Amino acid sequence: MKTTVNITINGESYEETIPNRMLLVDFIREVAVQTGTHVGCTYEGVCGACTIQLDGEAVKSCLMLAVQADGHKITTVEGLATGGKLTPLQTAFNEHHALQCGYCTPGILMNMDEFLKKNPNPTEDEIRHGLVGNLCRCTGYAHIVEAVKAAASK
Amino acid sequence: MYPAEIEDYVRPGTVAEALTALSKYEAGDSLMLAGGQSAMQAVKTRLLRPRCVIDLQAISELKGVSANGGALRIGPITPYAALAKEASFTGAFQAINDAAARVGDRQVRNRGTIGGSLCWNYVAACMPPVALALNMEMELTGPNGSRKVAADDFIHGPLETAREDDEILVSLNLAAAPANTGSAYKKWGLVTDALPVIGVAIMITTDSSGACTSARVAIGGLGDGPCRSKAGESAFQGVSANDSDGIAAALQAASDETETQSDMWADADYRKLLIRSLGADVAASAFARAAG
Repeated sequence: MKTTVNITINGESYEETIPNRMLLVDFIREVAVQTGTHVGCTYEGVCGACTIQLDGEAVKSCLMLAVQADGHKITTVEGLATGGKLTPLQTAFNEHHALQCGYCTPGILMNMDEFLKKNPNPTEDEIRHGLVGNLCRCTGYAHIVEAVKAAASK
Repeated sequence: MYPAEIEDYVRPGTVAEALTALSKYEAGDSLMLAGGQSAMQAVKTRLLRPRCVIDLQAISELKGVSANGGALRIGPITPYAALAKEASFTGAFQAINDAAARVGDRQVRNRGTIGGSLCWNYVAACMPPVALALNMEMELTGPNGSRKVAADDFIHGPLETAREDDEILVSLNLAAAPANTGSAYKKWGLVTDALPVIGVAIMITTDSSGACTSARVAIGGLGDGPCRSKAGESAFQGVSANDSDGIAAALQAASDETETQSDMWADADYRKLLIRSLGADVAASAFARAAG
């Protein structure tokens, strides 16, 4: 029923004995207490708020068991800024007013951070296509797209 | 939406280790997870309540695409993101690029796999009709050895396949296609990249003049599961890319033959219209790719 895992989150390793059925997002939020990763759709895998990077790839942490991340490296929104210095993407979100309530923002940042690494000069169509897996009910996406464009040009 | 208790979790490094892990529980009590983008949904809603989860992610022999002459072998746990940009599909097998690039969203494509989708065989999925159109072969390994099954025999009704509970899908094989072969896939859903209300996959081989000598037409999004349209395939014979009446007639034959359902997403007649409308785009792409 339980397994001892060692999961690295934002460079810090967490060795814990956890139930096999625990979802990765709950390990991140409740065991590692990194609550920047959000649960928007009650774990249905449709909202993207729980998007994290697993070994550098954006994935939804409610669609994985925590035990599956044993031995792997995870980056959450808390791991983007280094030494208090925001990334160009985070700064662009601030400058372009790309969030209102902010609930979806961590997932969008983790998705778009990886997206821009793979596609540093995206078109607007590519940005919008890249955002399909992240629901935002405040902004209408216009400012989010502007922010991602601005971050790409930095 | 939370999994029931899971007694065991194992992460084998080889297919042989995975078979050993499978044999520890009664058939059906273990769940093999590839990317888990569909299966974890079923685990969370408790449609599936596995006693043991066998995570296939560490089995490197199940990942990647390799070519042998014109034939291709696709590792079943190759994620969509890799398949979307795989260059060796260009032309004959390009329907896989089309489908993989539009499954779910970026996060799902980073993790979700072609083999997982084929084994799950959900009604609104892109890979099953693509496998049917491309005449893909599934290689299964179980306690009694290996066997190869054509997509036509592998894909059954919704959520059902020819795979037995104690078998692992170890390879997806594509035989070398004849010259002048092209394929394409397109779906329609209610929002961008949504689950297909209808998806159409077509593979076309032409002679040197551009006239179709053989076609495979497969349709997804159907209540009874994905299926081929033999009437549509016959009607494509002799048709060329610039013969819009011939293409329309072939797609009319396909939509007439296909039994469609009415549900909250679309009614049966609209699904038939989608088969014809998407089919025209798909056929145009397949012909263009066949011509190189």
